[in-house]
Amino acid sequence: MASTKTYTAIFVALMALSTTQAAVEWLGLLEENYWPILGVILVLSSLKAMAVAGWFMHLREEPRSVTYVALTGLVGVLALTAGASYSII
Amino acid sequence: MSDLPPRSSVKRWLVTTNHKDVGILYLLTSVFFLVAAGVLALLIRIQLLQSGGTILSGVGYNQVVTAHGFIMIFWFLSPFAFGFANYFVPLQIGADDLAFPRLNAMSYWLYLFSGVLVLGSFFQGATFMGGWTAYAPLNVPAYIPEFGEVGSFATIVALIAFVGSVTIGSVNFLTTIYRMRAKGLRMRDIPLFSISILVTVWMMLFAFAAYLAALIILSSDHLLHTSFFALETGSGPEATDSGSLLWTHLFWFFGHPEVYIVFFPALGALAEMVQTFAGRRLVGRKWFIISMALVGIQSFIVWMHHMFLTSINLEIKTVIMVTTVAISLPFDLMVFSLIYTMIKGKIRWKTPFLFSIGSLVIFIIGGITGVFLGAIVLDYSFRGTYWVVAHFHYVMASSAVILIGAVYYWYPKMTGKMYNEFLGKAHFVTSFIGFNMLYFPMFIVWETPRRVFHYDSGFTPFHLLATAGAFIFAGSFLIMFYNLFASLYSDRHVDESPWAYASSPEWAVSSPPPLDNFPGKPSFASGKLNFLDRAGTDGGAKSETATDGGVATGDETLAPPEEHADHASWWPIMVSSSVLFAGLGISGLSVSYAVWPFALAIPAFIGFLGVEGARQDGFALIHGIYVMVAFPLTVALLILFHLGIGIFEAVGNASPYFWVGLIGSVWGSYTLAGFGYESFEVPEPKMAEQWPFESVENTKLGMWAFIASDIIVFGAFVGAYIFTRFEYGWEAWWHIAEDPSAHTMAGQALEHHPVLPGLINTYLLLASSFTVVLALTAARHKGNYSLGPLTISSRQATLGFLGMTFMGAAGFLVNKGIEWVDLYLHQGWTFGVDVMSSTFYLTTGMHGLHVIIGMLVLLFLIARTYTGAYVGENEDAGTLEYFGLYWHFVDIVWLFLFPLFYIL
Ligand SMILES: [Cu+2]
Repeated sequence: MASTKTYTAIFVALMALSTTQAAVEWLGLLEENYWPILGVILVLSSLKAMAVAGWFMHLREEPRSVTYVALTGLVGVLALTAGASYSII
Repeated sequence: MSDLPPRSSVKRWLVTTNHKDVGILYLLTSVFFLVAAGVLALLIRIQLLQSGGTILSGVGYNQVVTAHGFIMIFWFLSPFAFGFANYFVPLQIGADDLAFPRLNAMSYWLYLFSGVLVLGSFFQGATFMGGWTAYAPLNVPAYIPEFGEVGSFATIVALIAFVGSVTIGSVNFLTTIYRMRAKGLRMRDIPLFSISILVTVWMMLFAFAAYLAALIILSSDHLLHTSFFALETGSGPEATDSGSLLWTHLFWFFGHPEVYIVFFPALGALAEMVQTFAGRRLVGRKWFIISMALVGIQSFIVWMHHMFLTSINLEIKTVIMVTTVAISLPFDLMVFSLIYTMIKGKIRWKTPFLFSIGSLVIFIIGGITGVFLGAIVLDYSFRGTYWVVAHFHYVMASSAVILIGAVYYWYPKMTGKMYNEFLGKAHFVTSFIGFNMLYFPMFIVWETPRRVFHYDSGFTPFHLLATAGAFIFAGSFLIMFYNLFASLYSDRHVDESPWAYASSPEWAVSSPPPLDNFPGKPSFASGKLNFLDRAGTDGGAKSETATDGGVATGDETLAPPEEHADHASWWPIMVSSSVLFAGLGISGLSVSYAVWPFALAIPAFIGFLGVEGARQDGFALIHGIYVMVAFPLTVALLILFHLGIGIFEAVGNASPYFWVGLIGSVWGSYTLAGFGYESFEVPEPKMAEQWPFESVENTKLGMWAFIASDIIVFGAFVGAYIFTRFEYGWEAWWHIAEDPSAHTMAGQALEHHPVLPGLINTYLLLASSFTVVLALTAARHKGNYSLGPLTISSRQATLGFLGMTFMGAAGFLVNKGIEWVDLYLHQGWTFGVDVMSSTFYLTTGMHGLHVIIGMLVLLFLIARTYTGAYVGENEDAGTLEYFGLYWHFVDIVWLFLFPLFYIL
């Protein structure tokens, strides 16, 4: 387990990134430049998810195999979403 | 915990958690469903004696065909294989039992009661009529005749309960096979049957999760009248029925792996039998295993070969055709390996081997005819014909035939008696003739349309032949039932093994094996199986315990572990029975309008937590508070109930579904609290081969496996949203709201472009994640905290952080409630107004349900922490950590829902 200080820093970063995501919409950036900003917002969400999984869920300290278990689920669902969405484009 | 009575007692079979007992229960129950679905099959064949039918009405025929498919695939084939898996996987890998024996019993009882639900649906008007694939839109209320609505929905509920059973089972077997192997047993040396089960449970974990998501969305279309599967976008010739397409995607993403889920355990058993009766190790064993793993992965990228006749584009069809043909290659390798093993070996023609080679012939025919269907152009002709029916019966039934062989193979081990060889061979001959007489004519008259009982009258003789074959095939099973039953009372006793060349570990112990499986601690460390003195190996100085979700009492140190292992519990059957009642109540929701009984489950659960907590841990203030809180909550709900629909009138006119639902939900609350509080010891082996999860405790690995499957469930919801939004036009999405003619209400919803409520909830959930981490840190903290003049014990700190987590979650729900009330009531943006509202309410609603479940678990943890658990040097904070994993996962899901539903 990491120190309380680390956890607090992660927490503050998570809050800040979430605020950034909302601010992007409020500032009207999304409407001007939809697809690039969509990418930015989703990258921010992924970063946040990785921080939660890595530190709060201790994946950094577990054997790598545990991460692979979770990643397998993620890959599966990405295959489903990408395949299904591509099939109708 | 209670004592395990002898096998002659009925009680034994209700309370047992022992893997061999549960295996036998699985086998017997699945044979019951085989007979049920077999009778339905005979009805189909009688109906098909002449074009236009003989004994069934159109509606009756549709029900029979649908139920035959559902029951054979879900309630017979897989559970039959898992009966063997339950019995033999622990024996083959040298484990005393599965990792979570209570959950294993619960898997079984959920399976049984879900089967009762599906059979019961026949008596609720009519069971589901749209085929086992349940294609949209025939699966939504608008396309189901009114008399069939309750029964159809009951079928869906039964399937959901069944998926619950499957998921618990998958998590259990994964954890067991990775973590409980005897010393020296490397992954690659696991016997082939257990390897096949490992590949199968991996596929089950993910495939069934997608099916669960599809079923939940379908339920929402039934209950909340959302519009997922009946959705049509565009108009005129441009229109596509994107809802139907969404169902086929979700269903076949599950459905294709499901074929291998059914087949692989049989394949593993086949490999074992071929080895034993050819008297040699499987040729190319390593490549056989690699092929199996490869097929397991590939099975998730071929699903659209079931959709060649839908509107998906040609590029993706071509890709899928290639992956489909590619998946047959590893199968070829496996088949050749089996055949080559037979050629190189010296065959002993016993009954199990006859079934093995017979099934191989059947499987090869089924496989080759399937390749025709995998070619896009040929599929245009073959789709919806008896070519398909014959093909998949050759494939699916070949696994049944292998498993019948496996019954003869393992019968001596399970009973200690030898079956009658002559009757066994007679069974094989009649069943093989009957089987081919039944299905081969279907290839010849393949132009018979599927699911319809009208065909070219020139085909009649062939259908007559098929029906005759069906009765011979069915009759052959009577020989088996007689043989197995009579042999039980014969004097043909068996020692360890009746087979000269059987090599897997289950044949090294007596028949039937003793309760704790082995005469000593099994070990492969010397290169072959031997048994070590138990007391010397584990349970010596310090043994870790897994608590199976229950409560560990941490004071067993000196005696051998088998004296501590519990083998009996009433709670699995009780929890599962509540699913039966609650499921019946839910199935009637469309006629009873009674969500109230289910809302009452929450205060009931809180109250029962107090009562059970006081009983198990001794009365403490917190238990009193829970009981006291439960009462006003109940009263508040009753008042709401009264204001909503008038309590006296409603209760006076309540349908039976109301009462069954009420009983089920309250009973469920009680039994879940009891399950959680039961002290149930399962020693975690100290000396075991655990690669690649050496430092991950059983419960933690189980939790991660569960989370991986939940990723698929949520991912499928999000995927359904993304798919629907693409279909609609991604960027035009928010403008659904600006189409004034159709969507005036949603227009107002758009005015409040809702980033703020989403952001507030993001803050709340992140904060609650943070406090869970702090609670765990505090629980593992040694000594007190001092804050200036204040001294806070680590227990108080843990309690404080858990309380804050609860409050954060409560704030999340309150905020969500305000948002929903505003959107739903004030702006009239109801669940089914448009696709946008459907996706929004369902996805965020399912997430909210996860939050509520987390809060109920938190109440349990808070009470346990209060009464002395988890904190301090002699206590294990593991449970808090595992809860944290769940809670952070719910948080992560929200991190994606927030931008997808509130920003983008
Ligand atoms: Cu397929």
